[in-house]
Amino acid sequence: MKKYILIVSVLSLALGACKKTYLNQEINPNAPSTTTPQFTLSAAENTAAAITANDYTEYGVWAGYWTNSGNYTPSTELAQFSFSTTDFPGPDCWDDLYSNLANINLLQSSTQGTAGLSNFTAIALILKAYDFQQLVDNFNNVPYTQAFQPSKFLFPQYDNGQDIYNDLVKQLDAAISLIQKNPGATNPGSSDIIYGGVMSNWAKFANTMKLRLAIRQSNLSTNAAKDALASTAAIGYIDNKTEADAQPGYSNTAGKENPFYGNFGFDATGNTTFPYLFYRANQVDTDIMHQLNDPRGHYYYGVVPPAAGSPLLVVRGNQLGNKNNASNSNTSPIGPGLLKSPSQPSPVFSSYESYFLQAEAALRGWIPGDPATLYAAGIAASFNAVGCPGAAAYATQAQVAYPTSVPDGSPVGTTLFQLQLQAIITQKYISLNGLFNNEAYTEFKRTGYPALPQNPASADPNALSGTLPTRLPYPSSELTNNGAVLAKQGTINPLTDKVFWDK
Amino acid sequence: MKKLLLVSLCFLMLCITEVFAQNRTVTGTVTAKDDGLPIPGVSVKIRGTNTGVQTGTNGKYTISVPDNGTLVFSFIGYAAQSIPVNGKSVLNVVLDVNSQQLGEVIVTGALGVKTQAKNLGYATANVTPKELTATAAINVANGLTGKVAGLAVYELDNSVDPSISIVLRGNRSLEGNNNALIVVDGVPLPQGSNYLAAINPNDIADISVLKGAGAAAIYGSEASNGAIVVTTKRGSSSGKPTITYQNDFQAEKVAFYPKLQTTYGPNGGEPNYVDPNTGFTLYVPYENQEYGPAYDGSTVIIGAPLDSANGKKVMVKYSPYATSPIDAFFQTGITEQNTITYSEGDAKNSFYMSAQNSYRTDVVPLDKNIRNAFSVRGHRTYGKFSVDYSVQYTKTNFSTYINNGGNGGSGNIFGLSGSFVTTAGANDLYSSILQFPAYYNLGSYKDPNSEQGNVNNFPDAYAINPYWIINNARKNVQRDQLLGSLKFQYDVTDWLSASYHLSDNFGLDQERYTRASVTFSPYAISDYYSAGNVGSGFKSTGGAQGVVYDYDAYGDGTPSGQSRIQGDAILDLHHTFGDFKTSLLVGNSIYQENFKDVWNGSQQLLVPNVYNVAYIGGQPGAGEGSSVIRNISYFGDLNIGFKGYLNLEATLRNEQDSRLAAKVRSFSYPSVKLAFVPTDAFDALKNNDVLSFAKIYGSLSRVGLINVGAYQINNTFGVGGGFPYGSLGGLTLGGTNYTTLKPEITTASEVGAEFGFLKSRIDLTLTYYNEFDKNQTVYVPTSEATGFSQTLLNLGETQSQGYEAQITGQILTTGAHKFGWTVGSNFSINNSKVISLTDGVTSLPLGNNQYAVVGQPFPLLQGTDFVRSPSGKVVVSPTTGNPTTASGLTTFGRTTPKYDLGLNTNVSYGFVSLSAVAEYRGGDVIYNNIGQTLTFTGASFYSASNGRENFIYPNSVIQTGPNTFVNNTSVSTVNGNYGFWQQSNFSKTMSPFVSSGAFWKIREINLTFNLNQFVKQTKYLKGLSVSLTGRNLWLFTPKSNSYTDPEFSDTSPNSSTRGVNDVNQLPGTRVFGGSLKATF
Repeated sequence: MKKYILIVSVLSLALGACKKTYLNQEINPNAPSTTTPQFTLSAAENTAAAITANDYTEYGVWAGYWTNSGNYTPSTELAQFSFSTTDFPGPDCWDDLYSNLANINLLQSSTQGTAGLSNFTAIALILKAYDFQQLVDNFNNVPYTQAFQPSKFLFPQYDNGQDIYNDLVKQLDAAISLIQKNPGATNPGSSDIIYGGVMSNWAKFANTMKLRLAIRQSNLSTNAAKDALASTAAIGYIDNKTEADAQPGYSNTAGKENPFYGNFGFDATGNTTFPYLFYRANQVDTDIMHQLNDPRGHYYYGVVPPAAGSPLLVVRGNQLGNKNNASNSNTSPIGPGLLKSPSQPSPVFSSYESYFLQAEAALRGWIPGDPATLYAAGIAASFNAVGCPGAAAYATQAQVAYPTSVPDGSPVGTTLFQLQLQAIITQKYISLNGLFNNEAYTEFKRTGYPALPQNPASADPNALSGTLPTRLPYPSSELTNNGAVLAKQGTINPLTDKVFWDK
Repeated sequence: MKKLLLVSLCFLMLCITEVFAQNRTVTGTVTAKDDGLPIPGVSVKIRGTNTGVQTGTNGKYTISVPDNGTLVFSFIGYAAQSIPVNGKSVLNVVLDVNSQQLGEVIVTGALGVKTQAKNLGYATANVTPKELTATAAINVANGLTGKVAGLAVYELDNSVDPSISIVLRGNRSLEGNNNALIVVDGVPLPQGSNYLAAINPNDIADISVLKGAGAAAIYGSEASNGAIVVTTKRGSSSGKPTITYQNDFQAEKVAFYPKLQTTYGPNGGEPNYVDPNTGFTLYVPYENQEYGPAYDGSTVIIGAPLDSANGKKVMVKYSPYATSPIDAFFQTGITEQNTITYSEGDAKNSFYMSAQNSYRTDVVPLDKNIRNAFSVRGHRTYGKFSVDYSVQYTKTNFSTYINNGGNGGSGNIFGLSGSFVTTAGANDLYSSILQFPAYYNLGSYKDPNSEQGNVNNFPDAYAINPYWIINNARKNVQRDQLLGSLKFQYDVTDWLSASYHLSDNFGLDQERYTRASVTFSPYAISDYYSAGNVGSGFKSTGGAQGVVYDYDAYGDGTPSGQSRIQGDAILDLHHTFGDFKTSLLVGNSIYQENFKDVWNGSQQLLVPNVYNVAYIGGQPGAGEGSSVIRNISYFGDLNIGFKGYLNLEATLRNEQDSRLAAKVRSFSYPSVKLAFVPTDAFDALKNNDVLSFAKIYGSLSRVGLINVGAYQINNTFGVGGGFPYGSLGGLTLGGTNYTTLKPEITTASEVGAEFGFLKSRIDLTLTYYNEFDKNQTVYVPTSEATGFSQTLLNLGETQSQGYEAQITGQILTTGAHKFGWTVGSNFSINNSKVISLTDGVTSLPLGNNQYAVVGQPFPLLQGTDFVRSPSGKVVVSPTTGNPTTASGLTTFGRTTPKYDLGLNTNVSYGFVSLSAVAEYRGGDVIYNNIGQTLTFTGASFYSASNGRENFIYPNSVIQTGPNTFVNNTSVSTVNGNYGFWQQSNFSKTMSPFVSSGAFWKIREINLTFNLNQFVKQTKYLKGLSVSLTGRNLWLFTPKSNSYTDPEFSDTSPNSSTRGVNDVNQLPGTRVFGGSLKATF
């Protein structure tokens, strides 16, 4: 009897096992294997906002907004521009931008050609331009046409920075056309955490992106973006009613705070973060604030007792690379105008930048409009953004007001255009503080403005150069993972090599 | 014990013997020397004839012998004895254990089939229970160390829940698991090296080590790294119940900590603490970097004034305190094990039961581990039907402080760190202790409620009172583990038996991490010295809320191991055709592994000391995961033996696994093995006293290894950062599909020889193996422009090749002398090499600064070095005298030992025996990350070697022309203190902290007094022995390593990399104690 039980049980187990489905365990119970355009869109917009907010700390230092606290040993890479040790500061934004672009690329490829989903395709194209422009501005030539195809191109080739710029203009025009031609397409609704599915705002965003691409190439004789401005000029640009702010629903919960607030300010328990303690006001910018009597100083920076024991609270900055910098209790932290609340929205493209871009374009005669009016609108939008009153009074100060003539005693050869451009870029610089460090630093490289009251380079005697880096080195991961292809770019010197538009 | 397991085989082999009438009848009892119990099944033969009998279940025998005859008593595992009859009619014989008889050792091979070693075509080694438990290690793995050629046990850290890795013949997989498969009573335990901690070492009857892939071909893909086959005890066969009680008591003390300087006090380069006249650094009362003035015995303030700026100033003597902070902090750990076993049975049935409690307190105060293990095992035979069962239940509770890394791999989970602050740069426990300046009297801070011990007044501005950490940041774990096995066998005919083996292994791991809330006084937050102290990090909140984190995993009871239910159906056909003895095993294995974990936690506990996510602010963090792995295998194992001296074995296995895509799911692999025993084959070699045994063998085999996790081949989408925000979801790409991935294929060849000289008084085994591992499953880091930072590919080929030798000599045998002495040695050399990777890739990062580089051994440590002259000397700047860091990576060497030498000896005189095991490993390098930390902070002895004066960098050169270098005899470093050790590139460069990984360790010493002969006459006590034991008593390392035990590593046991330490591994310890064993 037992014999039969045994044999039967052995056979039944062996046969039972032969069922084909027994081994089919491909479906992962822990994670979805498909996504929807909505889910991909909300994550891509959220990440794009977080990159802008958090990935350009070093630019914030080099632009003269921030520097290290006297309490901490400064990073030699930061203070000395010594890029010989591999991982600084490229990889963060390189990795983050490409990783987000892979998702944007998926959103584009999964919706392209489906008329009903054209709004998703359009936003994907706009975000693609937004993130790829950052890659080019940081690294010049980067992989573009062979990107995002690991099975086909494990070692993607680099494309020329200007070629990418030119293609991005086409992508933006395509996005605008998709929006205009498909009014009945599915609305992204709340999955669009920037505009809540208001597609006309996205058209403005795309148009402002074109303006940014054009202005960036202002020093070049061929400027395809500039040439394409007129065709979509009627759409208009981002203004103070169409701020491109990401707001997925940030809250005071670990990991769900506004990215800038959670990184540079306070964690969910209310304690200060390490970057808050490490990065303090930089003299370069606090001097400009004092010089221009700028009330936004107390919004961009916290107040501390001054050195001499005066009862008045002041904004006080340190110097990059100075070993004898004041300690934290005596230097200003990042201020309340930037760190408002853990649920504050995260700006992606601000109206003040848009106004200053328009002011410059109007000044150059590329678009119609009055530069002075746009200039004042930019200042007002910036005051509004940090919650500071008194924009109008500030803008009428002699040293702030939009120049209308070359003052007596100006250096020989000074033109009114130069002074007007300087005013626009200086105000743009002040307004971009903290939240758009990359734009501030990039525009400084393009224009040489603002005329900083002191050399912004490091006080560290071992600093490699008296001038600031002109571009970022390629990340070491490219050297190890795509070395043969990267070699075609030659040796990069971050202190002298420039991005194509930097003439 | 082992006896019973061997009995059945003996019957099989020896039962057909004829007994001729002789003229004298001799009777007697054969007993074992070690426990005094009778041995059934002993062969009793008349020398020069084939005539003989076997002892019965009570060890008794009766045989007719010629008056002048000689009886030979032999039993596997025991030294044979020849005794002339000389007219006696009663001959009681005591056999002594001898595990050295080559060819006769029984090896538990694949699927639990026991085979005589002489028939095996692959290398094996056995470890006896006596060897295993010589020093009463709690973990079986520690008992294996140094005993088998080619087997390396790595204890990666030293905590009450240590990480252990067991590797046979070095690494073969670049990124996959290289650990040997652990098999307990036929049940494979894929997470075995972790699981061994749940096994009571006293339950083990025998361990067979199957070294190569070939040995384990039949166990399937999981055994491609070799297998360690554990057989547990099944009861006795003496017919009488036996009860043993054993007590082991051991003390553990910190033995090997880094060499620290005790000359200089605190200064961390603060600009305000420099003598304006001399430029010398001044004493900084709150600093934990030790670049200050030399201790001079003066009276100084330590830390800030207590409680307020005008508070009490604690004045101390500025000289090294009598008890160093390390000695003050670490205590003597105590381990006590109490084991009771009960066994009974006869030749057919047996029963075994054991219970063990082990209680261990650590060298870190409050850390402890309590393990209770129970087991019931037995075997019953009903005619042709037999059943074997085993149930083992282990409950382990342990509690440790929480560390940022290491320490049982807790990691920096859920923002929970050993410190309650990460923002002010406060250090982990061990790191802090190592950095406390020598003038600290650590004892004054022991009481957290005392004036000095409370959290606001700790003098070091950048550390947390270590007693606060151990009292308030705890990890408490409970593990319940059950391993059950049931095997039925039916002997259908004399040539066919069928068996079915069902096993289940599951457990629950429940972990709770808690960290108490902390509140700082406004004064502590005000930061008296403006130092950026710990308290100042809490300016906005005044402190930190408590933290709780719960992690529960259902699996095998370890944090990440799967549970497993397995059924093996086997038909065993065996028949002898004339000179050919054949057997064929065909079978089917099906297993399913399950795992599920759930975690939740919060850092915002509202009510102090209430650790419950129901009482928190904000939302709790939570998550879960589960997986199922299924595998079906069919296999065959054919054995053909010719006249007992030639044996051919061929195996074939097909496997289908749910982790692979349907198209490539099924794969098969074969092996063939041949063994030849010349001493049995050729008459000229038979009964040769010089060469008493010789065997040569060879094998070729192939094994597939699945290095892909469950569901890994298909892309999934991850939750975007921060999502969900309320009801808004967001998904991001997780990867691409890897549906074409195939198993890694190991192709191994092996040849070997075994010799027994002088009647096996000297045994020698030699092995050469050569393995190639193709289709490595490797994450290749890719350009981020592909959209992904890595892609999983089958690529490349590696080679692992080596030699193993094991020699044992009985210099004096106890049979002939009262004095016995044996020596043994095992030695292995392993060469590994990366043959190829893939097109366009010549170097692959494996993590932890280690790489696979084509043409080089792996894993290969690479890192930064100084700029050097062609002759290898360090080039220093002609102005600063400082070396500079060279760009690019320098190769330092492999991180797995190339050479491993084990030495053991046993000396006995009468009832006293002394045994010792020593081990050497070498040919590898380690990266002492701990040294980098200690140099950075100025605690290392090395950093004070030049008296903190400017010095000429040793063996340096100055570059004077494009290719000309002159020896530096004049340019000193511009600073010999903080400015050099901390500020220059010295502490940021890797090469000063890379040292040889070589070491000698005195692993074990055991002095046993076998008191059997003194208690033999008592009624209840059958045996008694007392031992003194010591483990890891001495460690010898080359001068270049003044930091820590080179075995320690901050990598996980399953990682293919090793050889990088940091401050998360507690210092090495030595263990010494005693055991008492009584048999009733």
